[in-house]
Amino acid sequence: MNGTDEKALVERCRRGEDEAWRELVDRFGQKIYSVAYHFTLKREDAEELAQEIFLKIFENLHRYDGGFPLVAWIVSLSRNLCIDRYRRRKREKSFRFVSDDAVAPLLKSQDDPASEALKRERAKLLFSALAEIPEDLSEILVLRDLDGLAYEEIARALALPDGTVKSRLFRARAEVARVIRERHESRPGGTLASLALAAGAFV
Amino acid sequence: MSCAELERLFLADASGGEMSAHRAACGPCARLAAGLDRVEAALSDLRPAAVSPALRERLLSIPARTVSCERADELVAIALEDALPPADLARLEFHCSRCEACAEASQTLAGLRELARPEPAPWLGGRIAANRPRRRERRGWRVVASPKVVIALAYAAAVIVMLAGFNPADLARKAGVGRIEETARASVQVAGNSLADRLGAAEENALRTLARWKGHVTGYSRAAISTAIALVMKSEPQRPPNRPRSGEDKGVLQKNEIETSTWRA
Repeated sequence: MNGTDEKALVERCRRGEDEAWRELVDRFGQKIYSVAYHFTLKREDAEELAQEIFLKIFENLHRYDGGFPLVAWIVSLSRNLCIDRYRRRKREKSFRFVSDDAVAPLLKSQDDPASEALKRERAKLLFSALAEIPEDLSEILVLRDLDGLAYEEIARALALPDGTVKSRLFRARAEVARVIRERHESRPGGTLASLALAAGAFV
Repeated sequence: MSCAELERLFLADASGGEMSAHRAACGPCARLAAGLDRVEAALSDLRPAAVSPALRERLLSIPARTVSCERADELVAIALEDALPPADLARLEFHCSRCEACAEASQTLAGLRELARPEPAPWLGGRIAANRPRRRERRGWRVVASPKVVIALAYAAAVIVMLAGFNPADLARKAGVGRIEETARASVQVAGNSLADRLGAAEENALRTLARWKGHVTGYSRAAISTAIALVMKSEPQRPPNRPRSGEDKGVLQKNEIETSTWRA
């Protein structure tokens, strides 16, 4: 869908066409819910946040001028809401503790229980590391690597140059890698245990 | 710490081969790259969170629950007339519960009716009564009493008396009304002055109009002469002056050239 089609879709939504709104929800609902879930890691909170984002989209449709991709406009519109929830989660005591339930909806189904457990541990480690790195880095990693937005879309959504987006993404990945490595090294049980875990989890 | 070459290659969209070559050659970058591989592996295990059917229904029902800011402006205007259907009113109220700007606009407009009407100052009535224009006198009497009519009547009376063969001054003296005599004299003088003023003004106007037309005619004439001269000059071929081939008269202008230069100047 190009910019003209997206603008036309928005115009139809503004005119009150139910079919157009249904199309918009089906086209962007999944992505927006994913973004919301990655910032909250809780189904109820993510649903509430996604709903809030779509309310905001509907109430601000007249502000979309078709100048850049609709998904980028939606992300820019929802950014403050996501960051607010993220900070709220950060203030909670369980911020660094990521539960099995939190990552379960994100895991691809596995036939092998052992493999599934392994991936669950890796995902938990990944999200807890994401929570430790600076906010401006983690949000780019989430948008790019978890939500699959293009560099250009992220740049538009966050009002950053493309080069800055790529640079921050590299730093975000490197920071997450560093945190994961330090977690392994500081794990009680000694180096052997952490090496074994690392071997099981990442090799 | 890596040597930052890996980051430079990443930003430059380098190929996998180039990055692998650098990893093999640089120890710190090899460790960093191994960590990045782990992150990538963890990311590859994940999938997008699925939207539940209940959430989808809630998202689809949003247009029935709220309104856009631009629509809220219209609904606020209609609400002031108490003509808003309950469903629209509920949508507007829901929107205003979330949007501070629209809520403020709505409350401000709704508050217009609650504003008290300003009370006039106690002295205002008296001042208006005092400044009321006085009742006009009857038109017929005003016409008769106007200075122009008085002068005209006096002038007419004097003319009639003179035509009858009497001197108005003698009559007035005989009648013992010196005041009337003075008034008549003054009236005749005023009428004469007024007539002279009017004649003078008409003459001045005529002179001004004449001068204006004279100016126009002069201007147009000059413009026509200039245009004619320009056309004549343009139609003449601009030939270079004939100069003698011998070197004796070089630098000396011919007679006709001198005339042309003077004319142009």
